[in-house]
This record gives sequence, C-alpha cells and structure tokens, in this order.
Amino acid sequence: MIRIAAVGDVHLGEDARGRMRPALENVGEHADVLLLAGDLTRHGTLEEARVVAEEFAGLPVPVVAVLGNHDHHDDKEVEVAELLRDSGMHVLEGDAVTFQVDGLRLGVAGVKGFGGGFAGKCGSMFGEREMKSFIRHTIDVSERLRSALFSTDADVRVALTHYSPVPDTLRGEPPEIYPFLGSYLLGEAIDATSTDFAVHGHAHFGTEHGLTPGGVRVRNVAQPVIRQAYAVYCVEPARRVAVAAGG
Amino acid sequence: MTSEQYLSARLRRAIAEDPRTTELGVRVTVRGDHVLLSGEVACEHRRAELEAVIHEVAPQLQVLDDVRVANVSEPEGQEELR
Repeated sequence: MIRIAAVGDVHLGEDARGRMRPALENVGEHADVLLLAGDLTRHGTLEEARVVAEEFAGLPVPVVAVLGNHDHHDDKEVEVAELLRDSGMHVLEGDAVTFQVDGLRLGVAGVKGFGGGFAGKCGSMFGEREMKSFIRHTIDVSERLRSALFSTDADVRVALTHYSPVPDTLRGEPPEIYPFLGSYLLGEAIDATSTDFAVHGHAHFGTEHGLTPGGVRVRNVAQPVIRQAYAVYCVEPARRVAVAAGG
Repeated sequence: MTSEQYLSARLRRAIAEDPRTTELGVRVTVRGDHVLLSGEVACEHRRAELEAVIHEVAPQLQVLDDVRVANVSEPEGQEELR
C-alpha cells in the first residue's frame, strides 16, 4: 500500500511563512510521498517561491509539485520551477518521476493543465487567434500528460494536475466558470493510460471526490476543500484483469 | 438591482487583480449597504488586505467578513481507496 499526502492552493507568501511547517515535519508518519497540486504562491514571484522552497525543504518524504496559474502570474514560471528544483523538490511539467515505496513502484506524472471545459460544454480551436491559442494550450498540456503517464513504468500510476480533469470535483463552483477550471482532455489522457489515481487543485469551492468517465478516482485537494495541511490517500496496485491469450 | 451586480463584479475583479490581494477564491455578495466576503485565505493578514481593497473601491458599503483562514493542522485520518 502506498500512502499519498496531497494538497494544492497553499498560496504561500512572506505573510504565511512557517504556518504549515509543524504539520509538514510530521508528514513521514502519515505518508510516503507529498504531492503539491499547484498554486504554491500568490503572484509567482521568486520571493514567494523562496518561501515555498523553505516551507517544504528537508522533509522526510519526496515532494512532487506542479505549478498553478498563480505561479505563472509574474511570467517567471521557468525560474520558479528551477528555484524549487534546486531546493530538492520534483517539479513536473509534462514529465514523470518514479519512487520505490514498500516494494512497489510509484509513478507520478504531472502537468499544470488548463481550462476549456467538459464534454459537450467546451471550447474548440476555432475563430479568433486568442480562442485558438487558449484551446491549443489545453490540447498541448493534455497530450504531454498522456505521454508522461504512458511512459511511466510503475505499479501505481498517479496523475498530478492543477486544473481539474473532471467536472465532479467542481460541484460547489458556479457551472458558468467550469470552462476556466478544467478540461475533459486531461480526463481523457488519464483514462487512456491505465492510471490509478488523479489529484488536482484550483477549485476552492469544489468538492473532494470525483471519478473519471473511465472509472479513475479523482481528488480535489485544494486546501480550502480538504481543510487540513494535507489529505492522505492509501492506494494499492489495481487488480487489473489479465486477458488470456486467445481467450 | 443591476447596479448591485455591476458593483459586485467590480469588487470581485478588484480583489482578483489588486496585487495586495490576488484572491480568486473569495466570493463577493452585495446586498444593499452591505458587502459580504466569503471563502478562505492562507493567513489572517490577508483578511485585512481584502477588507482594505474592498473599502477603497466601495467606501459606502459596510464589509461583512466571513472569510476563513486556512486550517493547516495535521490530518486526523486517511482515505483508503479500494
């Protein structure tokens, strides 16, 4: 069994420095890995990223993060990711990382993700160039998630995003803004790759539990949703039905 | 009624775009002379910042602040996915 701690949308800055640290120092008692589902900062500045790096430094478990829209606001997402990597964190954007936990291989693939909406109520790559580039970005990041998940050789495969892959975990948000909160293309990537579990943030008024159309459990771990320092999920390798040759 | 809706949209944009707040996870509801803020922020200091920005944009309104500060305590349980 693999114990996964996860939280998103911690929005750290100088004024919130050290608040999470007491709970983080004990994370090893609760979990084998800590996932951060984006929006680690408020404005995406290097000063705030330094606070994040210090808050999550030197923990007894590996820390794996994706960035969120807030972490892009200052247009320094590359530098922010680099600073966090230098502090020992794994920052994913279209790639994956694998750990050995309890005799099992845990693979985490991550992207920020983007909006666009959900099946039947979504934007398409048509019309003004602003609209086309909006949807093109969603298609690009979803394809990167798909190939990162596909190339991850693991017993338990986890998708980590900031934006939501399903509408289920957005319940509580106004339906009018769902297209800004996630995209079905992320869910499709998760369902196409024998993924076991998906974690996202971004929707502060959403709900914790959801399911992809392909039956993969999704959890919205935005801090205002889980209302604790991090939530912990115990995941076992899927009992996949073996297809007998010629059967 | 219409002007209340425009005002609430303006206030919402102000707290999203003002660098002191940049809060997208806080709801703004205008009712007559009152404006209600609800949602969650990372620390106590940010509640005061929200109130200050709202007051600058709409000094005529009385601010009702229901915003919570994030709970950052250790988890008390775990969820087993089977």
